[in-house]
Amino acid sequence: MANYEQLAMEVLKGKKKLVIATVNELLAAGEKPLDIINKGLIVGMSEVGVLFSQNKMFIPEVLMSAKAMEEGVNIVKPLLQVGDMQSAGTVLLATVQGDLHDIGKNLVGIMLESNGFTVINAGKDVSPEAIVTLAKEHKPDVIGMSAMLTTTMLMMKDTIELMKEEGIRDQIKVIIGGAPVSTDFSNEITADGFAPDALSAVGLCKRLLA
Amino acid sequence: MYTTKSLYRRANFDINQTICWKMLTDDQCEEIFVTAAEVLERTGAHIENKEAQKLFAANGCWVDGDVVKIPSSKLEWAVRTAPSRITLCNKSGKRAVLMETENSHFGPYYGSEMIVDRASGKQRKITVNDAIDTARLSESLENVSFVSAPGKPEGFRKETAGLYALEALILNSNKPIIQPVSNAKEAELAAEMAAAAVGGFDALRQNPYVVFTINCNEPRFHSEDSLGAVMYAAKNGIPFIYQNKLISGVTAPSATAGTLVVALANNLVALTLAQFVSEGAQVIAGGNFTIFDEKSGIAPFGAPEAGLIGAGFSNLMRYLRIPSAGIAGISDSNVSDAQLGAEFTYGILSSALAGTNLIGGGGALESGKVASSAALAMTDEVMGAIHRIMGTFDMNEDTLARGVIDEVGPGGNYLGEDHTTLFFKSEQFWPNLITRKRIDDWTADGAKPMGQRALEYVEDLLGQPSVELVNSTVAAEIKSILAKAEETL
Repeated sequence: MANYEQLAMEVLKGKKKLVIATVNELLAAGEKPLDIINKGLIVGMSEVGVLFSQNKMFIPEVLMSAKAMEEGVNIVKPLLQVGDMQSAGTVLLATVQGDLHDIGKNLVGIMLESNGFTVINAGKDVSPEAIVTLAKEHKPDVIGMSAMLTTTMLMMKDTIELMKEEGIRDQIKVIIGGAPVSTDFSNEITADGFAPDALSAVGLCKRLLA
Repeated sequence: MYTTKSLYRRANFDINQTICWKMLTDDQCEEIFVTAAEVLERTGAHIENKEAQKLFAANGCWVDGDVVKIPSSKLEWAVRTAPSRITLCNKSGKRAVLMETENSHFGPYYGSEMIVDRASGKQRKITVNDAIDTARLSESLENVSFVSAPGKPEGFRKETAGLYALEALILNSNKPIIQPVSNAKEAELAAEMAAAAVGGFDALRQNPYVVFTINCNEPRFHSEDSLGAVMYAAKNGIPFIYQNKLISGVTAPSATAGTLVVALANNLVALTLAQFVSEGAQVIAGGNFTIFDEKSGIAPFGAPEAGLIGAGFSNLMRYLRIPSAGIAGISDSNVSDAQLGAEFTYGILSSALAGTNLIGGGGALESGKVASSAALAMTDEVMGAIHRIMGTFDMNEDTLARGVIDEVGPGGNYLGEDHTTLFFKSEQFWPNLITRKRIDDWTADGAKPMGQRALEYVEDLLGQPSVELVNSTVAAEIKSILAKAEETL
């Protein structure tokens, strides 16, 4: 007989097929869709976060878990009532103009989604103007920008300046990440925070929106 | 599993299972061997030991006073008779160190005069506690395959000090032991202690737990005591390293080839004598080499030549099918600094790539004079990294990954693939001491350089509760052998 503990363990181990089977079994047994997410899938993913921060799990494994969770959520989602699941917040993600390195930013997106955030992924090589336009359209709580190069990281500053000019800076938190950036740089360009890896980015968003 | 290739069988497919450094060709090795044979047949060796002289004479060698000349036929017979492989076992008899082909095994400093005190950071005399700490530390370090004491501990007579160090090693580690002995009597007592630890001489012979290191005093000068120890080891089935410390340009010709000739000639004397004593006696050819630094007046064992000559020596012994022993992981620096890191790395890399079977000496400073447990932990890390390089990679349908490459497609990434989770752990070296932290995290952790991290790592390992590795009956038996040593040595 399937149970939540088992489902959480399957998410932790990144077992996609087992998660699908267990979720279906739980639904067949009459368990509530929302409970499957909250008591099973999210519990497993939270444990992943703990193990990752202790260096006991690594990014490839975390991603396997996130993908397994996503499979579970995809089954349950259509069965949820409107308003059943509250988004933890909306995050607009973009790799800045001139930069095509988006692997890390996409990881951040996956991790945010598996932690209940709504993510709008604007892709790569996104200009400050395009970011501001998208921000006005979607009204995100957070904008996350990434850059891999020292030459492109300055676009982060330009974007923040443009947000100020357009009068939306004080409504939206801005976080940054990527190989060349740091907490110092974040302070320098008056961003709201820097995260060194995808799971810290989730923690950072949660802190900023608390 | 990750293949889209049809079933096939392939023919004549060449692989390199690991990288190798074959510095000398077979022809070059042969040239060195025939030269050493000529040296021993024409010039001969100085043999003080009368019993050894008798054995050489009885087996067709020419003995003139203390000079023994060995006909090449005898050398060739002895080289063929000595085993090409020796397996060392841990205390429980488990096969642990396979000295064969190009297998490399790494271990700690020995024969140092001083040690770096972990608390004060200053050099001081070696105590029996340092032997205990080295044994316990070596037991925990995964790239350290055997143990040895840092040097003769203070507070004992010099005749028996080495045996007290041996007691510390037996009681505090299970790994095979490399034990220096200076004469037959000391060898006998050390063998009795090792036999007591493994349950008797038969067990010790079948599963060798201790290897003696016997020093050849000077080039082609073989002392009474050294050859006494050689004959004891050969007769009683204990493997031994005949250790030659040669300084090119001083105790050996300044040309590397000539140094190798002298090193081989020295080793062949002990090897041939051991075969005369007992056909099949287990001999490991030992060579510690360096040059003479004219500016400082010292013999620097962190020098690149130490690795170079040692590599040639190992190649030569591989050709002759004789297990080899050398030293590496020794720095000429006095502290943990960048020089130490460089010397540790190229020294160990040279020895390991050349296939030196036993690499001793890890974690010594000041050209070997000073032992340091933090430095030993650093050499363990270096050895781990070098093992990774030497392990290269497997090549098969799964690892060629054509399936997952297709699945991910152009522009994708491999982070979240099953294939990645299967291989990312085994295909990488996972450091203990080397840092790869961003500066923020590194600063938050105290901005510690490598030496500091190594020291804390050692403190942490030694701070674990010690486990009793020898039962009280065996410990008492060893004590009684030590009491006997006090009377007889």
